[in-house]
Order: sequence, then C-alpha cells, then structure tokens
Amino acid sequence: MKQAIILLNPRLLSFKNKGFAKDRSIRLIIFAGIGLSFWAGIFAICYRVLMYFQRVEDLGNILAYKLLSMVLLIFFSLLIFSSILTSLSNLYMSKDLTLVHSLPVSSEKIFLAKCIESTIDSSWMVVVYTIPVFISYGIVFKAGPFFYMDIVLSLFPLCIIASALSSIMVLVVVIILPASRIRSIFVFLGLALLIILYMTFRLLRPERLVNPEDFASLLSYMDNLSAPSSSLLPSTWAFDSLKAALTGDVSYALFNVTLSISCAVFLIFLSILIAKAIYFKGFSKSQASIVRLFQHKRERLDKLFSFLSGPTKSFVVKEIKTFLRDQTQWSQIFLIGALIVIYTYNFSVLPIEQSPIKTVYLQNLLSFLNVALAAFVLISVTARFAFPSISIEGSSFWIVRSAPIPIRTFLWIKFFIYLFPLLILSEILIVVTNLFLNVTPFMMYLSIITILFMTPGVVSLGIGLGAAYPDFNSENPAHIVTGFGGLVFMIISAAYIGAVIVLEAGPVYTIFMSGIRGESLSYFQLLWIIGSFFTAFVISVLAIILPIRFGEKRLIAHSSTGNS
Amino acid sequence: MIDLINLSKHFGNIKAVDRLNLSVSSGELFGFIGPNGAGKTTTIQMIGGLLAPSEGSVMIDGIDMAKEPEKAKRKIGLIPDRPFLYEKLTGIEFLKFTADLYEIGEEVFLENTEKLLNMFSLIDRAHELIESYSHGMKQRLIMSAALLHNPPLIVVDEPMVGLDPKGIKMVKNLFRSLVKKGTTIFMSTHTLRLAEDVCDRIGIINNGKLIATGTINELKHTAQIGEADLERVFFQLTEEEIPL
Repeated sequence: MKQAIILLNPRLLSFKNKGFAKDRSIRLIIFAGIGLSFWAGIFAICYRVLMYFQRVEDLGNILAYKLLSMVLLIFFSLLIFSSILTSLSNLYMSKDLTLVHSLPVSSEKIFLAKCIESTIDSSWMVVVYTIPVFISYGIVFKAGPFFYMDIVLSLFPLCIIASALSSIMVLVVVIILPASRIRSIFVFLGLALLIILYMTFRLLRPERLVNPEDFASLLSYMDNLSAPSSSLLPSTWAFDSLKAALTGDVSYALFNVTLSISCAVFLIFLSILIAKAIYFKGFSKSQASIVRLFQHKRERLDKLFSFLSGPTKSFVVKEIKTFLRDQTQWSQIFLIGALIVIYTYNFSVLPIEQSPIKTVYLQNLLSFLNVALAAFVLISVTARFAFPSISIEGSSFWIVRSAPIPIRTFLWIKFFIYLFPLLILSEILIVVTNLFLNVTPFMMYLSIITILFMTPGVVSLGIGLGAAYPDFNSENPAHIVTGFGGLVFMIISAAYIGAVIVLEAGPVYTIFMSGIRGESLSYFQLLWIIGSFFTAFVISVLAIILPIRFGEKRLIAHSSTGNS
Repeated sequence: MIDLINLSKHFGNIKAVDRLNLSVSSGELFGFIGPNGAGKTTTIQMIGGLLAPSEGSVMIDGIDMAKEPEKAKRKIGLIPDRPFLYEKLTGIEFLKFTADLYEIGEEVFLENTEKLLNMFSLIDRAHELIESYSHGMKQRLIMSAALLHNPPLIVVDEPMVGLDPKGIKMVKNLFRSLVKKGTTIFMSTHTLRLAEDVCDRIGIINNGKLIATGTINELKHTAQIGEADLERVFFQLTEEEIPL
C-alpha cells in the first residue's frame, strides 16, 4: 500500500507545483463562478420539481422516490461509463507507465495506484453535480443530519463499485481482444453503452410520470411507479439507504450502506487478484503497434481536391486523413450523433396538437426556439472539432510556420475544412426538426437562411479563438476546449447567437401577429424589420472576418515568443 | 549478470526479436548495435521488465524477470531513449519519488543526490520544474535517477542523445569508471564510434536476430575484414551498402 501511495505522489506534487499565478487565479474564479451557477441551477430545478411533486396529493412522495431511484440508476450508469474510459486510459495509455513499470513495484500496486486515480478522475464531477439533487431532497423532506451523512456513506461505495467493476472489465477485455484493436473497440463499446443508456432513458419517456392520463388506469400507473428496481443493483442499495434516511429509518439505511461497502471491499480485492494475474500481461500486449481499421487510398483524396492549389490541397488532405485516423475523434462523432438523434426524436414526440395555444403560432414559436437550440448544438460541435484544430497541430506546428503560406491562409483553410460539414449538419438538423414541427414556409426559409449565416460566424469564432488561445502541449482534443480560450469561445458564440436571435425575434413576432390579425405592416414597422435583419447580417459578416484576424495576430505573436 | 535465453517478441506477424541468446558478464560494458528497427529497443524493454517476452526468458543476476520482476528490477538502473518525466515536478522531487520506490533511506538519498546532481551539473537547477529543463538536462536527470540506488546493472538505450560534447565526455568516463568498480552496462547505440571507444564487447542485431558478438577484433575476424573500423564491420555484417 505504501508504494501505491508513493506512486500517487507525482500527481499531488504536480497539482501543488502548478501554483496560483494571477492569470491562473482569474481563470479559476471564472470557472468556479460558472461551475457554481450550474450547481445552483441544478439545485433550483430539482427543488422546484420536488416542491411540485409535494403538492400532488397521495402521489407526491411516490413520484419523488421514483425520481430518486432514476437519478441513482443514471448516476451509477454514468460512473460505469466514465470509469471504463478513465481506467483504460490510466491503466494502459498513461505516459508514465513505461517509467513506473521499470521501477521495482509489483504490477498490482501500480494497478491499485492507477485505480485510485481513475476512481477520483471518473467520479468527482458526477458526484459534485448530483449532490445538489440529494440536498434538495433533504430540504424538501425536512431530513435530519443523518440523511446528509448517508449521502456520503451511500455515494462513496457506489463510486468504488463502479470503478472496480470497470477496471475488472477493462483488465479482462484487454487480455481477450487483439492488441491492435484495443483502443478502437473500447471506444465503440463505451459509446454503445452511452447511446443505449440515452435511448433507454428517452424511450422510457420520464415526462409521462407527471401525466397519469397516459396510463390505462390509476392502478397500472401506481404499479409502474412503485415497482422496485433489481435488488442486485448497487444503485438500489443506495436508493434504499437514502429513502430510509429520508424517513428516519436509520438501521435500514445503515444496513444498505453496509451492503454497498461490503460489495465495494469484495470488488477491490477481486480486482487486485485479477490484476496480479493479468495486468502486466495486458500492459505488455497493449504496447504493440496499432493497426488501422480502414485503409485510405491517397490518390482518391488527391483527385477529389485536385481543383485546389498545392499547399491548400496538402493541408486539406492531411486534415481529413488525420481526423479519420484519430479514433478519439470517432468517439466524439458517435456521441454527438447520439445527442442529435435524441434531439430530433424529442421534436417528433411533441404533443403540439394538444396545446391550448393556437397551433400555427406555437409551431412557429418552437421553430424560432429551434434555431437557437440548433445553433447551440452547432457551438458544441464546433467547440469539440473546429476550436481544437489549431492546437492539435501540436509539436508539428513548425511545419505550418515554415510552410510557404501565410498564417491567415492556413486559418482560412481550416475554416473551410470545418465549415462545409458543419453547415450540412446544421441545415439538416434545422430542416428535419422544422418538418416535424410542420412550420410555415416563411419560418422554414428564415431558419435555413439564419443558420446559413450563423454557421460561418460560429466556425470562424472557433478557428479564430482556437488560434488565439492555442494549447500545443495538449494531447487530447477534448481537453483543449476546457481551457480559458474554450470558455471565451463559448461565451462570445452564445452572445453572437443571442444577438442574432434577439434581432430577429421582434420582427418575426410583428410579422406573425399582423398575419394572425390580418393587418398589413406599417412603414415604420417595415423599416424596423429591414434594419433588424440588416444588423443581424452585418454582425454575421463581422463574426466571420474579425475572429480570423484576431486569431492570426495572436498566433503570430505566440509563435514569435517561442511558446509553440 | 544478464542471460537472455531464446528470447523472442512478436507483434502480430512481425518478429521484433527472434530467439536471441546472449550472456553479459559482471563488470562488462556490452554494446548493442544494429540498424533502425532491428529490435534493440524491444530487447532493452524486455531486459528492463517493460515488455513480456513472447517466448524465452530474461535472467538478471540469476533472477528470472518473469517470476520475480520486482527483485530483478532492483538490480537495474534503466535509462530509456525517450524517457518520461513528470514535467510539473522539480528535479529533486523526481529523484525523491524514485528513491522512495527503491526504498532508499533518507541519509543515503541525500548523500547520493548531492553527488549525482554535482556530477551531472544539475545542482543549481534541482529545485526548478522539470518542464523548464533542456533536453540534455532531462537526459542527465534520468541518468541521475537510474544511478541513485547504485544498481549493479545499467541498461541504457542511446545514452548520448541530446548531450553536449562535455556531457558525452563525462558519460563516457562515468561508464568506464563504473565498469572498473564492477558495474555491468548494457548499452544500445547508433553511435559506432562510441561503441568502439568504450565497449568491451559488442553484439550486432539485425531483423530481430543476433548476427554477431565479440570484441572489435573478433568482429573484424567474423566479417573477414583486415584493418577496418567498426563502421565497415557493421555494414559488412548487416549486409547494408555503405552510403556515399
């Protein structure tokens, strides 16, 4: 155990040595502020929902408990998913593994140290953002101090169980799978799990819980709500414990906590035993070279882009190839694909006809909101792919700097590479969801044109700010956007989309209301409408040009200080 | 000190190391040379306990690496060609981390650290973060860490990468003095001149197979070359053309 703790020292010391420079402190404060607002938001929503449930006679508590059991099941599933990826990364891909395996430390101790790291890495965020849910339960149910202690007692073993189960899974699968496929297959497995989880959750349609009319009879509704989850699930033990703590049944709560802890301890020992037998074998196997899943013929891409100039073509071909060969990118594509499917699916099940508000008005209002939502999907996809595209040049950025093309051209090449796929994605998204909403032709055209102008603006912000705040040392594109530059990108993009939406909202409302009332627009209204749309157009053009120029200046300054 | 018995490592269909048999005695400086991709680093990784062999075994001072890896690793100071260092640690913190894992007492740690940091000219920068070190300084820090527990065997992959002429000279002298004191050194290198200068015996590996071992004179005899340097011997034995 002593050696396992020593192995954790570099991580602790590195954290300490990062220090608290002024620049870093400001960023930390901004991040903490945003994090705290999310935390408070979750608390407020959960508190309101629980208060609403409390007002539903007889059913209130049953609904609250059902929600708690669902939260814990999702909490546990998220922990498992997150642990699989972090365990795989920490146990087999971490850079320091060659160093620690050369030291006189047994492989099970290395495994134990890496598992402690994985457990913390994979669970801290899930825990932090579910705590407000549990606290709101405590407040609404007027629970005593034991309930709050029970939150810690229940969640702690649940995190360990999830981490240990994931580690065991990873240990075994790495031994079974061919070494060259380990990384690719795991990414697919993990994503498949997440997509199944999402789809299951959506297909359960939790919104039905507050609508008993959907059920054939009150009896079947009650049955559905009070049906217990499997008693073999660790999340059920946590649920039983928390429920008992809420009702003041301390002994039953402690019984379930003991059940969780004993399972966690058993799994820790089991995973160490398995690690002792197979961890080093798997690590040694994972050191083999990676075989590509798909082979691309260079000539095809070259022919496809033969209309481009030499340097432009070489960057375009390189960008497409590196993107397709980086399996961490695929995982993100699948994840975003799943989110988009869920997003559009939600529109297909909206019960618009049952609304008391006039349908045409509601459909068009939703369509307008849909433009904003689609733009936010666009921001998240841009943040994940276009924003890190400069930073992932990494140590090979010297090739760009020494190439016979200006930095600005390089940035425009990056811009166009990401613009076309993102534009197609956004337009498909907006057209499909508008078809589900059955909107008027005016709203359809307006949405298509708005997205047509917004997409280049958002992509340009992504490329420009990605160039202005590069992180050439980061190896994982997903981490790049979590930095200060990523935050600036998200805030400015959200402000830009907000501005365009606000500029369009007033005129669109006026046009609709005059249509509904059968009145024609006044001269002043027409002028205002044209002025608003023109301003939105100018903002969009500026959003395309200015970020690239800003990024160019900053990137040149950054390069000349030798920071790259 | 080192016994490699029928050692093989396969990566899929590629035989990186193919039935390698080799013994290195105590107090010997053994040079391991070969073209790129010949299997040098894979062999070193198996000796260092970083890779499990597909077949065969690695014995370190009579200890089987597969059966008692921790005991065998205690005998080794490994200096890889592309070492990992915790960039956010200071030099001294990294050495302390290594010392703790080798269970070196505080007194010995302080004594050895001061000696090594002075020897590798790192004493003034010991409390700075490793990320601020140059490539050569990082290489010297790794060497200090490998020597910290006074290992009877040093396994080193490309020792001179990133070192300045003064550093190269110092490392050459250090290796010779360590060998005089009874330390065994297994060194892989591309620098034939270095191998010729310091090694007692040389092994040439090509396509995963050990094609020749011996002193410089023995290798010349094997290559059937009269008066020639190691470079000519190397090209003759690996059947590669001498570039113009």
